[in-house]
Amino acid sequence: MPSNGVEILLVEDNANDAELTLRALKQRNLANQVFLCRDGAEAMDFFARRTSPVPKVVLLDLKLPKVDGLEVLRRLKEDTKTKSIPVVILTSSREEPDIEKAYELGANSYIVKPVDFEAFARAVSDVGLYWLLLNHPPQ
Amino acid sequence: MNWSIARKLPLFVTILLLAVAIAQLSVGYFSVRKASRALADKRLPLATSVLADLLVSSQARTRLTALARDSAILAFLGTGRQRGRDAALAAMRRITNDTALNNGLELRDFSGKLLLRTGRFTIADSVLVSPGRDTARIGRLMRQDTTVYFAIAAAAGSDERGGGIVQQVARLQLNERTRRSLTGLAGGDVGLLLGNADGDPWTDFAAIVPAPPEEVRTSPTPVRYTRGGEPRRASAKAVPGTPWMVVAELPKRVIAEPARAYLLNMAPIAALIIVVGALAAWWGSRWLTIPLKDVTTAAEAIAAGTPGPSVPVRRDDELGRLARSFNTMAEKVARSLQTKETMLRGVTETAHDAIIAADGEGIIQFWNPGAARIFGYTVDEVLGKPLTMLMPQRFHEAHLAGIRRYVETLEGRVVGKTVELEGRRKDGTEFPIELSLGAAPVDGGMSFTGVIRDITERKRIAEALQATNAELESFSYSVSHDLRAPLRAIHGFARILLEDHNAKLDPEAQRLLGVIDQNTRRMGRLIDDLLSFSRLGRQDLTDARVDMTELTRLVADEIRRTEGERNGHVEITIESLSPAHGDRALLRQVISNLLQNAVKFTRGRPNARIEVGSRPDGKQTVYYVKDNGAGFDARYSDKLFGVFQRLHSTEEFEGTGVGLAIVKRIVQRHGGRVWAEGKVNEGATFFFSLPYGEN
Repeated sequence: MPSNGVEILLVEDNANDAELTLRALKQRNLANQVFLCRDGAEAMDFFARRTSPVPKVVLLDLKLPKVDGLEVLRRLKEDTKTKSIPVVILTSSREEPDIEKAYELGANSYIVKPVDFEAFARAVSDVGLYWLLLNHPPQ
Repeated sequence: MNWSIARKLPLFVTILLLAVAIAQLSVGYFSVRKASRALADKRLPLATSVLADLLVSSQARTRLTALARDSAILAFLGTGRQRGRDAALAAMRRITNDTALNNGLELRDFSGKLLLRTGRFTIADSVLVSPGRDTARIGRLMRQDTTVYFAIAAAAGSDERGGGIVQQVARLQLNERTRRSLTGLAGGDVGLLLGNADGDPWTDFAAIVPAPPEEVRTSPTPVRYTRGGEPRRASAKAVPGTPWMVVAELPKRVIAEPARAYLLNMAPIAALIIVVGALAAWWGSRWLTIPLKDVTTAAEAIAAGTPGPSVPVRRDDELGRLARSFNTMAEKVARSLQTKETMLRGVTETAHDAIIAADGEGIIQFWNPGAARIFGYTVDEVLGKPLTMLMPQRFHEAHLAGIRRYVETLEGRVVGKTVELEGRRKDGTEFPIELSLGAAPVDGGMSFTGVIRDITERKRIAEALQATNAELESFSYSVSHDLRAPLRAIHGFARILLEDHNAKLDPEAQRLLGVIDQNTRRMGRLIDDLLSFSRLGRQDLTDARVDMTELTRLVADEIRRTEGERNGHVEITIESLSPAHGDRALLRQVISNLLQNAVKFTRGRPNARIEVGSRPDGKQTVYYVKDNGAGFDARYSDKLFGVFQRLHSTEEFEGTGVGLAIVKRIVQRHGGRVWAEGKVNEGATFFFSLPYGEN
């Protein structure tokens, strides 16, 4: 496991949500290799610049400036180099069409951000633990 | 030919009378003719007998016999014709003077030599008949030109003492007078003929006639023969003591006369009877059929759809009753027809929609004011025209094919259904229509009835609604995403403050952060409830059979798990529930919301009891959830199901006031309804009904 590589790519435009997410990950000591993108375009640039190594998981918000989350998801899953990266949708939207569309495009999980901070922190840390420590991706 | 009774009856009677008359006349005619012939056959022999007797009793023979013995004659002959000449002549002259002028009297010797002669008729130069010795003999009839004569001869004296022959030659007086006087003897109409039994000459006493044929002369009974081109009946008889024969004859015309007269007399009478009978029959049949004809004409008029005035009731008999009943019936039919027509007119004229009828060829037959308003054509502009004028050109072919197919196969894609199509107004503009089309066979053809609604406005509203819905969706998306993010930040940072900076906060600050914490949580729930409530209006329903008993048990178990540890015991009784049809997930939410409500409002009660059951009610099933909890004031029961409507304070019972609104919305979308009964502190019962069947 490369120690200086990015393990989690967090795509989140809301600074508060980003801070809360990072805090939750930090409590589990998972925040060291997190890279934060503030919109979809930045996320796409991230993948365009870095060819290797790839993050272990992408935490993707849906409602993003410039390029929205579903579009980012679609491009990631279309590209053979990035399509095996697990993408977890982390959003406020509970709308059924969003959920359906996300899974259709190949999202690996869909998590609705709870308003309740404890629940939110638990969800984020559980996701981080699962994908970083428990999941075994193809080499 | 189809003749009416009014014609057939008199005709029949006339033919019958004619047949009877002909039979009667024929029978009468032939009987009369037979009788006349029998009479003729009696009269004819009688006439011959009379004539024969008349001829035989002639005095000529007697006189001549007497002359042959006259002494003067004998003396003249006995003296060798020397003396007594004058005396003999005188004797002879006595006879000729005495009798008819046409006689000649001769005295000849046996050799035939004329000795003496007197009288005028001097045709003979010899003895014409073998003289009778004892009495005079009458000879055959003879003819010279138009004269018929005969001789009577007798021997006088003897050879030895000098004898001779006296011969009288008589000429028949042949003229009309003789004939008439003789036929007069026989009754006037009988023709009498005289001639030699063995042949010519023959006479009818006026002129020479051809001898009757052999069969007439030899037949003992009257026979039929033709003379002078005219058929006759004749009877012959020999005249005794002469070679003559008489024939009496009657023309067939005469014999048939009575029969003809009978016919002539009877025929006019028969004709009169026939005419009178025919007139009577004609009048009788008119008397019978005129009322029938009145009724028939009226019935035909009704059948043709143009009822006229009522049938005149002229009599009191069966026909009168028929007319009266017919009038009553026609009146009732007309009234009911009128009522129906008025109703139909009322319906079609009042209808906001276009009501159009067309025949099997798609030709417009009916057009209501609604149609005129929608399409812009007046009635006169469309009646008799094809339906295609009401639709855009591009649909014409499909429309015509559809009509043809339906008329031929009775299978249609549109008939019996309601479809949305495009219509075309008089001004050429196209607009959306909704068409309900019906078809029914009439008078051997097909009638199509269409009800057409202009759905321009509806479409516009539907589009507007769709736009509104889309807006609402994006609004709720925004609410869902953008409202929750700041809320999460407030809650999150308040928690961080409490957790990371707890030591720096005094108890009051800690309490206030707790209040923030509670309210943000509550706000989060409120947003979530509101979102699911608004989603309900847009979400499509699935339809499946739902086992309500099993569903309720699942929900109850879940509630027992989450609630059980926090509160005292709650007893939930679930009866066997009727299955429902609908969206399982949504029905689950209904049960869940109601049960959670019940659990909430029985909290803290001793012997908290919740009962779930169902009962059929008409075409629906009514489900209920009953508790013995806090209940509610029945005066406010209408507020229970409104959004954000609460009858209790948040301190007393937590909640957002959306749960029951969600229940109401789900049940309404399933075609049912919700209501509640309750009293303060005596519990509440919430009901909801769901229709049976595939809904």
